[in-house]
Amino acid sequence: MSQSLRPYLKCVRSSLTAAISLSNFASQTAERHNAPEIEAGRTPEVILNPLVIARNENEKVLIETSINSIRVSIKIKQADEIEHILVHKFMRFLTQRAENFFILRRKPVKGYDISFLITNFHTEAMLKHKLVDFIIHFMEEVDKEISEMKLFLNARARFVAEAFLTPVSSFHGAAVLSWG
Amino acid sequence: MSPTLTANYRLIDIDALDADAQFPPELLNPPCPPVGISEIQGLAGQCRQLLQRGDQEGALKVALENVPYGGDEAGKDLHLQTILEILSSIRSSEMANTLSRLSSLPNGTELLDVLTKYIYKGMKDASSGAGSGGKMSVLLSWHEKVVDIAGEGSIVRCMTDRRTV
Amino acid sequence: MTTPEINLLFHQPISDHAFNADRSLLAVTRENNVELFTRSGKGFTLKDELKGHDKTVTSVDISPVTGRIVTCSQDRNALVWEPTSDGAWKPTLVLLRLNRAATFVRWSPDASKFAVGSGARAIAICYFEEENDWWVSKHIKKPLRSTVLSVAWHPNSVLLAAGSTDAHARVFSSFIKGVDNKPAPTAWGERIPFNTVCGEFINNSGGWVHAVDFSPSGDTLAFAAHDSSVTLVYPSAPEQPPRAVITVTTPMLPFVTLAWLNENELVAGGHDCQPVVFQGDVSGWKMAYSVDDPSKKGEVGEGERSALNMFKQMDLKGKDAAADDSTLRTVHQNTIVTIRPYEGQPGNITKFSSTGVDGRIVIFPKIPRRA
Repeated sequence: MSQSLRPYLKCVRSSLTAAISLSNFASQTAERHNAPEIEAGRTPEVILNPLVIARNENEKVLIETSINSIRVSIKIKQADEIEHILVHKFMRFLTQRAENFFILRRKPVKGYDISFLITNFHTEAMLKHKLVDFIIHFMEEVDKEISEMKLFLNARARFVAEAFLTPVSSFHGAAVLSWG
Repeated sequence: MSPTLTANYRLIDIDALDADAQFPPELLNPPCPPVGISEIQGLAGQCRQLLQRGDQEGALKVALENVPYGGDEAGKDLHLQTILEILSSIRSSEMANTLSRLSSLPNGTELLDVLTKYIYKGMKDASSGAGSGGKMSVLLSWHEKVVDIAGEGSIVRCMTDRRTV
Repeated sequence: MTTPEINLLFHQPISDHAFNADRSLLAVTRENNVELFTRSGKGFTLKDELKGHDKTVTSVDISPVTGRIVTCSQDRNALVWEPTSDGAWKPTLVLLRLNRAATFVRWSPDASKFAVGSGARAIAICYFEEENDWWVSKHIKKPLRSTVLSVAWHPNSVLLAAGSTDAHARVFSSFIKGVDNKPAPTAWGERIPFNTVCGEFINNSGGWVHAVDFSPSGDTLAFAAHDSSVTLVYPSAPEQPPRAVITVTTPMLPFVTLAWLNENELVAGGHDCQPVVFQGDVSGWKMAYSVDDPSKKGEVGEGERSALNMFKQMDLKGKDAAADDSTLRTVHQNTIVTIRPYEGQPGNITKFSSTGVDGRIVIFPKIPRRA
């Protein structure tokens, strides 16, 4: 793995560990409600300064923290148009199945490709460092997945192009033969 | 018909009309004395002189001790540039030593907390611009070294502190 | 005994726990109920369940004087439970008049009142009205602007400290005519009618104030904020700036609870899952040691790890250790939410009990754990 990925992931890990210090907190704007404050956004004092961790302008993570929930948004590397389409389709596939991933948010935050929402109920049921591991694992896998898909797509395109052109060349051959 | 009659009364934010429910912004953001841009420029010049004399550590200390919390956006950006300049002038082999000397000062934790704030600000600002991969890797390795010494507590303080840089 | 006593009660978060005076009865919160356990040998046996709230119970307290239990919940109510002659517990609803979640409740040391912190930007001071035979409340409102996360009583049962999400720790007077006798003057204040603000403190780096506590003498206030710090306030005289305000910032994750051991020692616990002892006096405080330091423990249950795997972990995940990490190396497996004194007199506590999100109750001696 490249030299600059390690410090990037290490930075994300320590920032997430610091940010996921959540406690149970009932809403102070709505009676008898207990909602993620980062999504509600109605109580400024329980929302902390957001953090941005960037590897370059195309790869960054936004961490928004509140007293009972954090929102982690990831911008995935997209070098060209194909990767852009692949990332978009892949993230759409995942977010449509968000309930199976527990912490996945159905809609990414603007400017990012995918968002996670972790609440105090997640940290109560799951180990915190495992949640962090999951996000880090996701970040490294998704890059790999996208570049594999791109390779596969290119190989397939080449194959299709060949298959498409083959009958043309053989037809030409046959025509030449029959006329000859 | 007056606009109040046509307005959907279910959508009226009644909390906005209740003075008791308002959270005074000055409680959240304690007022900081305003800092003029000339002062920050002076500070930048002072740091540059120290850099030219080869005293990177002294420059870093001066820059971290005089944080323009009360400055405007332009002033804060200028100070960020000063700090980034100092950070990139320190060799990676010297980072850990510099930091441990800084942290052993009486106000050491405070200095490292300020540095953490600038590292995050640096990443935030540069990530919207272009061609900044090199700067990022400098900031990321500084971040790693700071967390080794000041722990995750410095990141937490960077989030809770309303005195933004 | 120098090893901590560990008991797993259930796999659900415990937001608060309380022991009675002789430590034979333990009350812990579990979702919408409070469960009562009795000591049986080394463990605890479930004896009774207090059902009365219909939302998460946030706090419970047992008065060492009267043995009454008070509970409060996010359903905005507080209940006082009294034992009946047949061993059952009878709840009495308290007239809190709060319109948001109740977050924290504590009996005053003389058991005549209790304070309920809430999300309604108010603290309800509750006392018993003989003529009507119920618990009524009076609100401390100003200058609270946000949810109250914790409250703590001064030994004189009149002064009350509160920590809130607006990053302030405050000291109030809760003097109620007809209930309280006029207290002796303290460094916090002399003439103190209800709702007097005797002190207001904030850290430089802000952070919600998760926990507050008065020292055994009542002359020092400690509070833990979300900026991973513990702050000590030494008041000088009424209406004067304090003698000293000492903030100990730590490299750890934030602390959410603290308890005094004696005038010069206190223990704090939080998101690092280990209780940490702080020591000092008016001239300065420091983080002394962790009672349950994970780095000092022997290598337990760690299988062999391949060098390749280790480097892979370091490279890919930015993590140093490759050990099987499905359990933490601390006793508590998740955030510690409450620490309370367990053994010893106020001013000389030798053991303390802690509960957390992991559903464990642990009784720690105050000395560091040996490997």
